[in-house]
Amino acid sequence: MEEEEIEKAVIAYLKKKGFKQTELAFQEEHHQHQNQQTKNSSSSISSSTDPDIAKHILSFSESENIPARYHEGYSKLRSWTYSSLDLYKHELLRVLYPVFIHCFMDLVAKGHIQEARNFFNSFREDHEMMHLRDLQKLEGVLSPSHLEEMEFAHSLRQSKVNIKICQYSYELLLQYLHKTQSITMLGVINEHINFQVSPGQPASISDDAEVVTLIGSSQDDANQINQKEIHWGLLEGSLEERLEKAGGLLSDSEKAEGEVKETDTEENKKRSAEGGKQGSSIKKLKKDKVVGAAGKTARPEANAVSMAPRVKPELALPVMPTEVEQSILEDLRNRVQLSSMALPSVSFYTFINTHNSLNCSSISHDGSLVAGGFSDSSLKVWDMSKLGQQSATSIMQGDNDLAPTEQILGTSGGKRSYTLFQGHSGPVYSATFSPLGDFILSSSADSTIRLWSTKLNANLVCYKGHNYPVWDVQFSPLGHYFASSSHDRTARIWSMDRIQPLRIMAGHLSDVDCVQWHINCNYIATGSSDKTVRLWDVQSGECVRIFIGHRSMVLSLAMSPDGQYMASGDEDGTIMMWDLSSGRCVMPLMGHMSCVWSLAFSCEGSLLASGSADSTVKLWDVTTSTKVPRSEENKSGNTSRLRSLKTLPTKSTPVYSLRFSRRNLLFAAGALSKSG
Amino acid sequence: MSIVSKETIEVIAQSIGIVNLSADVALALAPDVEYRMREVMQEAIKCMRHSKRTVLTTDDVDIALNLRNVEPIYGFTSGGPLRFKRAVGHKNLFYIDDKDLDFKDVIEAPLPKAPLDTAVVCHWLAIEGVQPAIPENAPVEVIAAPSDGKKFEQKDDGLPVDIKLPIKHVLSRELQLYFDKIIDLTVNRSDSALFKEALVSLATDSGLHPLVPYFTYFISDEVSRGLNDFNLLFALMRVVWSLLQNPHIHIEPYLHQLMPSVVTCLVAKRIGNRLADNHWELRDFTANLVASICKRFGHVYNNLQTRLTKTLLHAFLDPKRSMTQHYGAIQGLAALGPNMVRLLIVPNLEPYLRLLEPEMLLEKQKNEIKRHEAWCVYGALLRATGQSIYDRLKMFPALPSPPARVFRTNGRVVTSPPNKRKANNEHLEQQPSLKKIATDGPMDVVPTNLSSNMQPPETKGPVPSTDPDMGPSSSSRQIPHGSISDSRDRKGKGDSRAMKMSAVLTQTWRDDLKSGHLLVSLFELFGESILPFIPAPEMSLFL
Repeated sequence: MEEEEIEKAVIAYLKKKGFKQTELAFQEEHHQHQNQQTKNSSSSISSSTDPDIAKHILSFSESENIPARYHEGYSKLRSWTYSSLDLYKHELLRVLYPVFIHCFMDLVAKGHIQEARNFFNSFREDHEMMHLRDLQKLEGVLSPSHLEEMEFAHSLRQSKVNIKICQYSYELLLQYLHKTQSITMLGVINEHINFQVSPGQPASISDDAEVVTLIGSSQDDANQINQKEIHWGLLEGSLEERLEKAGGLLSDSEKAEGEVKETDTEENKKRSAEGGKQGSSIKKLKKDKVVGAAGKTARPEANAVSMAPRVKPELALPVMPTEVEQSILEDLRNRVQLSSMALPSVSFYTFINTHNSLNCSSISHDGSLVAGGFSDSSLKVWDMSKLGQQSATSIMQGDNDLAPTEQILGTSGGKRSYTLFQGHSGPVYSATFSPLGDFILSSSADSTIRLWSTKLNANLVCYKGHNYPVWDVQFSPLGHYFASSSHDRTARIWSMDRIQPLRIMAGHLSDVDCVQWHINCNYIATGSSDKTVRLWDVQSGECVRIFIGHRSMVLSLAMSPDGQYMASGDEDGTIMMWDLSSGRCVMPLMGHMSCVWSLAFSCEGSLLASGSADSTVKLWDVTTSTKVPRSEENKSGNTSRLRSLKTLPTKSTPVYSLRFSRRNLLFAAGALSKSG
Repeated sequence: MSIVSKETIEVIAQSIGIVNLSADVALALAPDVEYRMREVMQEAIKCMRHSKRTVLTTDDVDIALNLRNVEPIYGFTSGGPLRFKRAVGHKNLFYIDDKDLDFKDVIEAPLPKAPLDTAVVCHWLAIEGVQPAIPENAPVEVIAAPSDGKKFEQKDDGLPVDIKLPIKHVLSRELQLYFDKIIDLTVNRSDSALFKEALVSLATDSGLHPLVPYFTYFISDEVSRGLNDFNLLFALMRVVWSLLQNPHIHIEPYLHQLMPSVVTCLVAKRIGNRLADNHWELRDFTANLVASICKRFGHVYNNLQTRLTKTLLHAFLDPKRSMTQHYGAIQGLAALGPNMVRLLIVPNLEPYLRLLEPEMLLEKQKNEIKRHEAWCVYGALLRATGQSIYDRLKMFPALPSPPARVFRTNGRVVTSPPNKRKANNEHLEQQPSLKKIATDGPMDVVPTNLSSNMQPPETKGPVPSTDPDMGPSSSSRQIPHGSISDSRDRKGKGDSRAMKMSAVLTQTWRDDLKSGHLLVSLFELFGESILPFIPAPEMSLFL
């Protein structure tokens, strides 16, 4: 066949299929090629080296283009796949889904709307289990213009799907396509699927999720990004580090120990605020401490922390007042050691009478303050230390009529048990306490973020920068800086003293739903509706990792205290544990029945707590999940599936937020929902 | 195929006053409308997720419309999810019920109460990984077993009033009817054949579990109210019995509620207000009931039996209690097994009988009814101790035959007269209780008979002609005969001392001796009436 003819045929084919861009690109390239007179002509089918395929495509372009061909071709391919050898079946099945959606989109693109519908409905059941949400999106595509408009469809059309397949499966597939002369299918497969043929045995089924996920950016890009170097270690000169040194000094001198105990009791008094509850745990803590002081070398936590490498901060970090530092050191010293054997105590804050209007809640680091963001644009903060006395004082007020002075001094109303912060003009979607508990940030649908002072009970700053609702905002672990994520598909880094963002992280293909700081403040992680989690370098604003594996929108993120792992929870109730350095999923954690709203690592990183819409708090053993599979190189780590240690059901109260205090007491909050 | 059809567009166009919409326009609009709708819903779902909800509300849709720069739809805001109704005759047509309200009504209606303000309450969800069983936490049983009778516990919840309890107990109409019917039968027609059928149904039917809390409540309620109504009480106890028999009912969690009423029926001072009411029978029945409960649930509730025996023993040992109560306690203990009798009744037997004795005598107790009661108690005691001694003796290892043979002739000679007399006694004893049920008439005769007949064996017990024969014969075979003669002189205290002495004796003979002593002491107390409870071969051993 003549070169010219082939080119003409290809152009005709592209025109027919409506690939204007590809056609243009082809023609451009063709012109260049004409100059160079090279033989390589078909750019759209670069992956095919088989001359036969070219022939098929030629014959395809000549033949009538009927929607029925798609239907017929796909159903044949489908029945062939289903009857193929068991060993290779799951690999071949992976091919079906991309073929299916592209057949559908081809039909839509050519204007056969009705036929596309028929086609879609007759085969959608096959893929509903794995790709329900994608299908629901695609279902709405009803005209060629929608294909262009819809981000998801557009990105699907633009990129190729990578499918890992073993040599034999690949041959089987090619053989079948050749034999049956199903040119339509062959065309689709060549156009949209990039086979990564690997010699040897077919891969295990467990790798499925990773391989089949369709994302906008190609897998290659992701892999390339994931090659970048990241420093996941802890910050130099962190408090933990100082604690270790200080711990050595302290145990040397008895006097210092005595002082510590004194301050400890003061601390106790201060903290009896938390409903007198930490008191009991403090006793335990004391015991622990004695043990720790006696044999501090045996402390597993200290060892674990010291193992983690140290990195220098990339940001200028705020300086902490010494007295605050002291109290934090105190907390660290008195921390309960948690493990799969020693589970934490959980204090639960239940919001009642919310009338379905509570959107988010947040708990300060010491658990003494609880904030709730409401859909009526208000932010309310409860001081749990005053909770017990509050009723008494209000009675007192009524009796003695001290109200006028009290009210002026008091927050914003005599009777209220909380501090009301008003200022937003849309539902408040997120709130976060600064590490010291003196500031709160709230983000709202009015696309602003507001900074409030809990000391002054006033709004200090309004940060405008996002263009759409701000879904999430998080203070950095050391304060001063904070990150926000929005419906405008960006995440932004801010500092408290500037009203403009310092960095804008763009790259997600859909809403950025949640954001979380890395423990060393040099990175932030974002979870998105595009089902990926990304890690960004704060200094450069670059994306340094893409984590692919979730099947639905990512709702919550948590970073392990050693900075090595990250957990993310999604809409389906799946939690995934990621290794930051390799960018791979260590282990998916199944168990929740509904959205995972919140995740939290215990302070020494041995436990992961997850709170879900199914009204449970689950505790997971992290040590078995992370350490073991790493040694097994991620290959079929079924033996050490991350253990669910405990499920704590609440009384029809979905769990909105979780927080481990510095002493490892777990706080949880949620709104009592009557409808369940 | 698509959700929004061409016709829908046409209808909507007409509804807003566009009459001449061309078919092409409708055709082009339909898919686009659907696409836009899906787009809005997708955004609305995002808003829902970020409001941490799993139910879509109209607010979410409004916010989603805002995001798309579209005017929100006013007038549909509501606090909760909307309730859709299916249009009659259409499969896929839903609508929101929108009632017409009269302005006047709305204006004149009193102001609704202000909704309660949001508050935060704090509790322990877990303490070191263990959930404390406090009302704020989900009941653990919800997971363990789907027991549905949480309503009693929930009533006591110290939760603020505004919290509606999540678990609502719903009884089906059928079960309600069934319950009402059973109640009616129990209260009004407990002697009908239908009630018997009802009891069978209660004992066998599955699916009655939801009713158990109601039954237990009903029973405890009725027992506390209706102690005068004998028939009702008996019917109630029969219901309890049937419920216990039912294999499909998990009655254990309700036992704590049932037990007091059952025990009441056993040891109540007065049951029924007429003499004709055979409360003895009810007490017997209840005693068996209690015993069966103990047998079944004793291992689950460790303290069930101990608490029960304590109650019964208390009733038994308190001389101020009436005879009826004593009777109930004795029957209850007897039903719990011979061991209970041996451990709890027998040691107290001697002083008790001394108290009982005057009650039984015509001269000392003039009140016939009281005297009859005393005789009933005496009979119960005799039965209980007799059974226990029988059980005890039965456990003996088979004795070598030669000695038994040696004494056989002797034994026969000796025992035949007492046997006869015993039969008499026994007969007389059983009679009053039986006869009394039937009529009060022969009461005059029977007690006099009894007192005259029974008195000799009791009062002169140790003296009768057979006794000297028996005493030596048994003591000849046993080592500590001295103690027996001692005990005869010094009665109670000496007896127990003898028991202790014998306990010190050789281990091999201990059991044997003990029961020998037991028998002898019983014999002293009851006279020959105890003898028929002793199996012949063992009897021969002691003769």
